[in-house]
Amino acid sequence: MKDRLLLLVYLVLVVTATLVHDARLLLAGALTVTATEFGRRPQSWVRALRAALPFLVAINLGFLIVSKGDLSAAGRVLPLVNARLFFLVVLVFRILPAIDLQRALGFSPTLRFVLILATSQVLAFRRLFGDFEQALAARTTRRPGLRTSLRQGAALGAFFLRRAEHDATEITQALTARGFFLDRD
Amino acid sequence: MIAIEKLSHAYGKRTTLVDVDASIDAGEKIVLLGSNGCGKTTLLKILTGLLEPGGGHVLYDGHQVSPAALRDKTVRRRFRREVGLLFQNPEAMLFNPTVRDEIAFGPRQHDLPDADDRARHWAAQVGVEDLLDHAPYTLSAGQKQLVCLAALLALSPRLLLLDEPTAALDPRSTGWLVDFLQDLPQTLVVATHNLSLATELGERCLVLGEDHTLLHDGDVASLREDTEVLYRANLVHTHRHRHGDQEHRHYHTHDWS
Repeated sequence: MKDRLLLLVYLVLVVTATLVHDARLLLAGALTVTATEFGRRPQSWVRALRAALPFLVAINLGFLIVSKGDLSAAGRVLPLVNARLFFLVVLVFRILPAIDLQRALGFSPTLRFVLILATSQVLAFRRLFGDFEQALAARTTRRPGLRTSLRQGAALGAFFLRRAEHDATEITQALTARGFFLDRD
Repeated sequence: MIAIEKLSHAYGKRTTLVDVDASIDAGEKIVLLGSNGCGKTTLLKILTGLLEPGGGHVLYDGHQVSPAALRDKTVRRRFRREVGLLFQNPEAMLFNPTVRDEIAFGPRQHDLPDADDRARHWAAQVGVEDLLDHAPYTLSAGQKQLVCLAALLALSPRLLLLDEPTAALDPRSTGWLVDFLQDLPQTLVVATHNLSLATELGERCLVLGEDHTLLHDGDVASLREDTEVLYRANLVHTHRHRHGDQEHRHYHTHDWS
């Protein structure tokens, strides 16, 4: 019950974040959510900032380039975009780790299947990501340069894309073979 | 039980099967041999009605098998109950929260009243009874393979198609699986590229060549004598062989692993 309630709170907050158009309110929300880490070091704030920073930089730079340096437009749009994205990432780090998603989705076997498939795929991909990192480390004697990093990143992205497409097909076939869609018309 | 007539298939411009003909009787244990990329997996998926053949057809008990034919709900229920496919990548088959649910999934889909008993029984048979309450995705590759096998057997299928079932297993588990499969009453088709396992897995073998045609349909013993077919199918290799100072080269039929 606790897990389902927390998931509901999370979803309500996500929807609320999309309805609030005041950057100060969103930042206050992020602070409030962080403050619920009672007494502990505010981990979710730091982790959220670390995770969101590259995206925020990319979004801000992208906007400035597209708007040809129009600072007044940037002043209107970017604070809200940054605050909303930051608030959503804080929510992910603060609330999702506290939820046992399997229990929270226990009411729907289909959702649970989807969750387990996603979890096993995430684990498989995380293992592969680790392999790529270790392979690069094993083949380089010093910190790889920008060109090498970009090439490796591109190879990794292309591999994941191919793998994801292949796995999606394979999983659908396995589900079909095991009778998952038996009653589908 | 199942007949393949003039079966062809291609993924876009990449040919995978060319005019394959074969017939499998109930109770037979067939080994499907071929090197990587010759079309073994594709053939198994066509036999299971997951892929539409480009040409020719598959008949199961005289009825056509294809994704189109399996749109009929009654036909589909019967076919999925009676024919099971073990995927080469077991992760594709696992999506339940526990091993128990995973094995009981098939029986529950088919509304069998003893799904939990079947799960316990087959978990014990394949040696994963201690893992019944574990999440399948936390298991090793070999354990996943065994859970998938138990999940298929829990439906008591008539025909079992296994795609490289020993690929993720260590030598002891491979030996165990070979014995286990021999004792199963089901009709079996086991795909492998490991020639040394062929004699252990079945009496009759079908060999797919690198040109995607069927090179051999007969007993395993006669295949092992036919070096030309083995070479064409890329099932034998040569390498330098040393005996003290002497060195020579000849065909080897053993697997490298």
